[in-house]
Amino acid sequence: MDLSRYANLFLAESREHLQTCNRLLLELERSPHGTEPVVGIFRAMHTLKGMAATMGYAKLTELAHRTENLLVLLRERVAGAEADMIDLLFQAVDALEQSIDEAVAGHDETLDFTALLAKLDEAAKQAQSRTGEMRAVRSARQTTDVAAIPSATGRLVRVAIRPDAVMRGGRAAIALKRVEALGHVSGVRPAAAAFEGQDFDGRFSFRLHTDVTDPVIEAAIRGAGDVESVSIGEAPVPAPLEDQTTVGGARHIRVDLKRLDSLMNHMGELVVAKGRLAEVVAMAPTPDLEAVSARINRLVTEMQTEVIGSRLTPVWQVFDRYPRLVRDLARQLGKRVDLLIEGGDIELDRAILDEIGDPLLHLLRNAVDHGIESPADRRRAGKPEMGRIVIAAARDRSGVAIRVTDDGRGIDRKKIAERAVKEGIMESVNEELTDDVLLRVIGRPGFSTAAKVTDVSGRGVGIDVVLTRVRALGGAASIESEVGHGTSITLRLPVTLAVLRVLLTRVGQERYAVPLAHVAETVEFDPQKTTSLGGKEALVLRNRVIPATRLRDLLQVDSGTASARPPAIILESGDRQSALVVDALLGQQEIVVEPFEAPRGMLPLFSGATILGDGGPALILDAAALL
Amino acid sequence: MGHTVLVCDDAIFMRTMISDILAQAGFEVVGEAETGRQAVEKYRQLKPDLVTMDIVMPDMGGIEAVREICRTDPDAKVLMCSAMGQQALVVEAIQAGAKDFVVKPFQPSRVLEAVQRVLG
Repeated sequence: MDLSRYANLFLAESREHLQTCNRLLLELERSPHGTEPVVGIFRAMHTLKGMAATMGYAKLTELAHRTENLLVLLRERVAGAEADMIDLLFQAVDALEQSIDEAVAGHDETLDFTALLAKLDEAAKQAQSRTGEMRAVRSARQTTDVAAIPSATGRLVRVAIRPDAVMRGGRAAIALKRVEALGHVSGVRPAAAAFEGQDFDGRFSFRLHTDVTDPVIEAAIRGAGDVESVSIGEAPVPAPLEDQTTVGGARHIRVDLKRLDSLMNHMGELVVAKGRLAEVVAMAPTPDLEAVSARINRLVTEMQTEVIGSRLTPVWQVFDRYPRLVRDLARQLGKRVDLLIEGGDIELDRAILDEIGDPLLHLLRNAVDHGIESPADRRRAGKPEMGRIVIAAARDRSGVAIRVTDDGRGIDRKKIAERAVKEGIMESVNEELTDDVLLRVIGRPGFSTAAKVTDVSGRGVGIDVVLTRVRALGGAASIESEVGHGTSITLRLPVTLAVLRVLLTRVGQERYAVPLAHVAETVEFDPQKTTSLGGKEALVLRNRVIPATRLRDLLQVDSGTASARPPAIILESGDRQSALVVDALLGQQEIVVEPFEAPRGMLPLFSGATILGDGGPALILDAAALL
Repeated sequence: MGHTVLVCDDAIFMRTMISDILAQAGFEVVGEAETGRQAVEKYRQLKPDLVTMDIVMPDMGGIEAVREICRTDPDAKVLMCSAMGQQALVVEAIQAGAKDFVVKPFQPSRVLEAVQRVLG
């Protein structure tokens, strides 16, 4: 076939694909953990390889092929691309760009990529050693699947694909597919999964239960192409040894997370029902009823502890990927950073852990990018060149606190104050900028002052995303920062999501739940002990002035009347406090949080809803929004 | 003679070459697709006798496209076009319903042999 008439097409299209590679490599360099650029580069490289092979350019094909090998490994890896690997990929793309014209001019054979190929292979080898473990797990899974095929009766068929055939496994798969149309196939040896391997030698056997004659079977198999021999008979199959993965001891079993979720939901309902039972018993108590109720109460509580416990996962499972990511990022930014992990054994509900992984990564990125200074700057400031970031988990009241601390430059309060005044959060730049206000300013969507000042890599800040996520989980965040000494951000999280302990209150005819995690204390709202703070009502409590909000006014409730000295709930988050005045306190309760979509135009005061033990609804107040 | 073919590959280069090989053998190339999604759509419209399908394509790869085509037409005759080193994907494609495969670089004789096997 005359290939020369395809040369121009080949050139034009190859250039396009190489350009795509360059663009995506830049993207990958900016965010080394993205999988999309890798997939795109792989696709472009793969197409290029196919075209070059078809044109008969062996050297180009070889280079594209080895580059592709590296990309496959990159695609399968959990961690991101290292800077030197990206460099290497750039080199490969450059080499291809420079060589396609040569190849088209008929000089493919004179191209020499020896040095580059060696580097690509070396990088692939390194990457492979890191992915080896993952593959082992995957292939173990396949083995078990196949071992489940029962042996059955039927004619024994043995097939050999020609040893010189390209992709013997593919031929075997076609042959198998074709006999499957004739009857029932079982006992495939080696297992069909082996067809996918490069080392499959083309010999396989199976049992076929069918009514058709042997010649028909043989014809069907030969129709797959490249078949060397087919033998059909009753000879016994020597059973090949099967890899068996046995789990050491019988101490753990795998359970589908969905089952645990479902168990947890039922558990939540049970807890609510238990609460209702106690209420009903209290209305008409008899000694027997009380005894049964107390027993159920105890059993349900124990079960709840067990169910929650079964879902708890140590935080290291998420933290473990951070050191590598931090290292790569630091390397990209020309910084030296040491990441320390503390409290890796602290446990959180799997669902929370899954949700918090990305926000924490965000905080770590910020710390490396905006917090830690360049080695030169650190030297000038009298600090060790190696910056230090600590991610620490610890128990905190009924929940868990995760703190990300860096020993970097800290946040420039003057710049933040200017921004706060502009946004109307502060009245004058001369006011003291507390840590709370600081968090409120940098936590605004689209906040970018710090980014303009310190951003090296063009990545946005996105603290608002972190705060939103944490609040959605019923947690809270706080910040401490000192110029020259570093920044510390703490996320306080509940241990579990399903059951929430709340303080139940009443305003007008409705009941509202306030998460106990945010309740510091409850007091009587004595009008004689109020003052005014910035034109608003405030409560004086032990010489502290606490801004007060009357929920009745906020919700515009006018049914019923408020008492002269209503109860007030002191909400607390970080060093912020706020008094919430309600009509009545109904007591503490455990509730199950229901998914909740606030109707349009509703005040952003509620984080969820719940059905109480008596079947009536209650809205859950978002304490953070009230602070 | 006169079998209709739909050629699916993201590279014009490959499409042109396959079309040429098949046209010279008397086939009628009735359509081309650049993505898996297009392949599925065009298969529905054109109902060709044969489809040649690249494995790696943007917007739905070839394997998914085969699966989708065979779901609506179990008798669809799809020939996979693969590159060296894609054995696992080829096996997957066959399990998904592809009837045969050819490996790049294409030799016209091998392509036509495979086509004959597929059309039976």
